[in-house]
Amino acid sequence: MSDKRNIQDQKRRLLAEKYELRRKLYKAFSKDTDLPNDVREKHRCKLADLPRNSSFTRVTNRCVFTGRARSVYQMFRVSRIVFRDLASRGLLHGVKKASW
Amino acid sequence: MSLRSMLAQAAVIGVNEARAKIFGHVLNPTGQRSAHKILRKKFIGEKVASWYPDNIHKEDPLVVARKEQERLSKLEMLKRRGKGPPKKGQGKRAAKRSK
Repeated sequence: MSDKRNIQDQKRRLLAEKYELRRKLYKAFSKDTDLPNDVREKHRCKLADLPRNSSFTRVTNRCVFTGRARSVYQMFRVSRIVFRDLASRGLLHGVKKASW
Repeated sequence: MSLRSMLAQAAVIGVNEARAKIFGHVLNPTGQRSAHKILRKKFIGEKVASWYPDNIHKEDPLVVARKEQERLSKLEMLKRRGKGPPKKGQGKRAAKRSK
């Protein structure tokens, strides 16, 4: 199950990368106050026509090992449980238990 | 007082415009809405798309070949025992349907 979600997320990431430039362009055009209103509206429609999965907000940082969506650290790309596991075994470089 | 403040203001505006002209900045002294805010951000698409590492089980030829061999040897073992997949039209459902 975790892999299915990861595959979906990967698909969304690829789409977002593919449509990124276009998206930015349409958004910038539709928010420019100097342009005439119908041009702005046309670009707004074009922005809405893009596939939904090409939005960056739909992408979630899942854990690479387990697929957990919550409490995933961006620095290691793993969830807190796997992080604790790996760090205790010493597999993460430069990570040790804090005490001061 | 007013004259001095007006002069100071003019000087500041002049300095700002000169700076923008030299370095190529986009000025917006009135603070109106502008599309420059969206256009100046960098692209993040590549970084986003490279979150998941490559799957060794599907892309390394050695690993793939080894798995394929294991599957074939397992199939052979089952066939030797007589437990392999039946011929077409002999399975349980196919036989029931044909009868």
